[in-house]
Amino acid sequence: MLLVFSLLQQMSVFMVIAYLFTKSPAFRPLTAENLQPRQKLILYFVFSAFSILGTYFGLPVSDAIANTRAIGAVLAGLIGGPALGLAVGLTGGLHRFSLGGFTAFACGVSTTTEGLIGGLFHLYLMRQQGVRDVFNPKIAFVATLLAESLQMLIILALARPFAEALALVEVISLPMILANSVGAALFISIMRDRKQMVDEVGATFSAKALKVAEKTLGLLSCGFNAETAGEMVEIIRAETGVGAVAVTDREKHLAFSGAGADHHLPGLAIASEYVRRAIQQHRVVYVDGINEPFNCPHSRSCPLGSALVVPLAVHNEVLGTIILFEPKTKLFLNNNRSLGEGLASLLSEQLLRSRYESQQNMLTKSELKLVQAQVNPHFLFNALNTIIAIIEQDAQRAKELTLHLSNFFRKNLKRSGDLATLEEELDHVNSYLTIERARFEDRLVVETEISPELLSIKLPTFTLQPIIENSIKHGISQIFGTGIVKVRAVQSEGQIRIEVEDNAGTYCEKLQSDGLGMNLVDKRIKNLYGDQYGISVACVPEEKTLITISVPQGERP
Amino acid sequence: MIRCLIIDDEPNARRELEKLLLATGRFEINGQCGNAVEGVKTINKQRPEVIFLDIQMPVIDGFEMLSMIDHEIMPQVVFVTAYDEFAIKAFEEKTLDYLLKPVRAERLAVTVEKLLERLRANNTPEYDTARLTRIPCIKGGNIKLISVAEVEYALTDISGVHVAIAGQSFNTDLTLKALEERTELVRCHRSYLVNLEQIDQIIPGESGVAEIKTLSGQLLPVSRRHLKEVKRLIGI
Repeated sequence: MLLVFSLLQQMSVFMVIAYLFTKSPAFRPLTAENLQPRQKLILYFVFSAFSILGTYFGLPVSDAIANTRAIGAVLAGLIGGPALGLAVGLTGGLHRFSLGGFTAFACGVSTTTEGLIGGLFHLYLMRQQGVRDVFNPKIAFVATLLAESLQMLIILALARPFAEALALVEVISLPMILANSVGAALFISIMRDRKQMVDEVGATFSAKALKVAEKTLGLLSCGFNAETAGEMVEIIRAETGVGAVAVTDREKHLAFSGAGADHHLPGLAIASEYVRRAIQQHRVVYVDGINEPFNCPHSRSCPLGSALVVPLAVHNEVLGTIILFEPKTKLFLNNNRSLGEGLASLLSEQLLRSRYESQQNMLTKSELKLVQAQVNPHFLFNALNTIIAIIEQDAQRAKELTLHLSNFFRKNLKRSGDLATLEEELDHVNSYLTIERARFEDRLVVETEISPELLSIKLPTFTLQPIIENSIKHGISQIFGTGIVKVRAVQSEGQIRIEVEDNAGTYCEKLQSDGLGMNLVDKRIKNLYGDQYGISVACVPEEKTLITISVPQGERP
Repeated sequence: MIRCLIIDDEPNARRELEKLLLATGRFEINGQCGNAVEGVKTINKQRPEVIFLDIQMPVIDGFEMLSMIDHEIMPQVVFVTAYDEFAIKAFEEKTLDYLLKPVRAERLAVTVEKLLERLRANNTPEYDTARLTRIPCIKGGNIKLISVAEVEYALTDISGVHVAIAGQSFNTDLTLKALEERTELVRCHRSYLVNLEQIDQIIPGESGVAEIKTLSGQLLPVSRRHLKEVKRLIGI
């Protein structure tokens, strides 16, 4: 009984050390889901130390030592896997072996075995539940109970003379099994609590970062300028609760919010060397206010005492910085420091994205221009040739055609904007078709069937003309007989469908590669209304091609 | 007077050119065609001295149309185009002339001079035309393009040239001679061309003639003159 108490006593010392351990930086690796080799090495040293300490704290009992060595070995195995368990067990075991006594060999072997048992439990748990259950006190209790019971058997098997071994085991088995199991369980429970705390702090931190991200999302897509920066500083200050927040570009302050706003004025050139350093070296600069005081370059009476300067970068180009300040009266929280860094990388991502989007947008616009420019020379040639051919026979008709040609080009010029009504689109197309009809005469028939209430729906400009042009260029003009183009607009299932059908059925496969104009129309509709809208093509070879343009009904984007 | 033909798919363009040609006082217009198939047919029938040929036409363009004309009756060719001058230059600059639309009378006068010179030399022009891969045929009033590889044989009779494919027969406006010159079909008889890939066996007959049995079981005559060549080509 006395032995039980003594063991519990030394266990208490153990718990104090364990508690201190969980407070130390060495504990941090354990909070990760997957252990890196470097972290395993740290754990090896820590648990080996526990194991050896367990031996030293032990009580000599008839030339042997009643001890808590097993805790280190079993827990190492349980947390770090069989390899780590084996390594710690072997270290603790060798140490015990070096101390001598008739159980020295048996104890050496058994400690190694105990590490391995912890490792086997680890493998089993990983397979069953994953990392969560490794930090379960009940399992640690059972694992240690099993390991210690096995140790007693090993002592009986290996220690000679057997009679002395038996006598020893009778005395120490129960106290040691109990003390080690309870100790391991308590140790694990301390670790689990601590780990949970770290996780929770991490979760609040992530939640905060996500909230700022959500609020600033889309802000930067309007560009990185004084206006967006102004909104950004307010959001960041409100969410982080720091004393002040500033955003700069490469040369000057764009926005400032918080203490010291009277002299940190937007537009002010960057005077602080910390900010310049952050921009030039593309790294985070932290002025903690203790080792290195933050001296405001703008005013001596500035209340700010510490600062964190984080560069905002796209690829490797620094566009500006975000600066978090705390007043002299307040400490800069570590959490806010990592939050600031995280935010900057998040905002950098957004900048990258907005830049990419604006490039995409420019690309689409220039593609549109290209298509408009590409179309016109051929069309213009053909139109002029047609007019030249008929001008002598029918001057009036030639005049009408010239007016249509003029209308077509005027509309083309005007239509760099975004949206037009179906009526405007049809007017554009009508001029186009009148000229093409004059060119092909009886080889081209156009049938239009559109109810008047659909004339006011909005489409991206330059939607209908490329489709009609495709039908003529790749359809009608590719067949021997008479070409019929039907243009219809129908309303169904919340969609408006504009259909262009020809009776050629010649361009089923060509679309992917050749239909630049059409692909562009599709892309613009999808950008504007979403992926469920756009252009679809149905083709019956040598019979018909049906192009359907679908847009949402009644939406006024 | 130079007998000429206008082949262009745009009616206005044909009318405009007709007017200009007539204004020179040098031309007699044999006809106007709206596509290449009509063009081939009219050339075979009318044998014009000159054709004014648009390049961009439905289904069969001007270049391909030239491959469909047998070289004995090849007229002088003047391409008339709105924007394919580079294609013409690549095709054959030396022997061809071309006019850009809209055609101007002064430019046409230069062409007339060149034409008169060539016609005086009285040489049938030879153009470096590509081999034909498809044959325009007519069935029930519709024009159908048949791939040469699928053709079993072709024959000419009193009603014209026929192309046989999978047990069906189509009329074509191309001459047997043009098909012989421009496709892989091989002459086996005065009135027959055969696709060597479609031959099943050659059945020898009396006095040097033979019969070809095609894969579909059709029997074609082989004349004495052509038997040796056919056998050589299929490697017997």
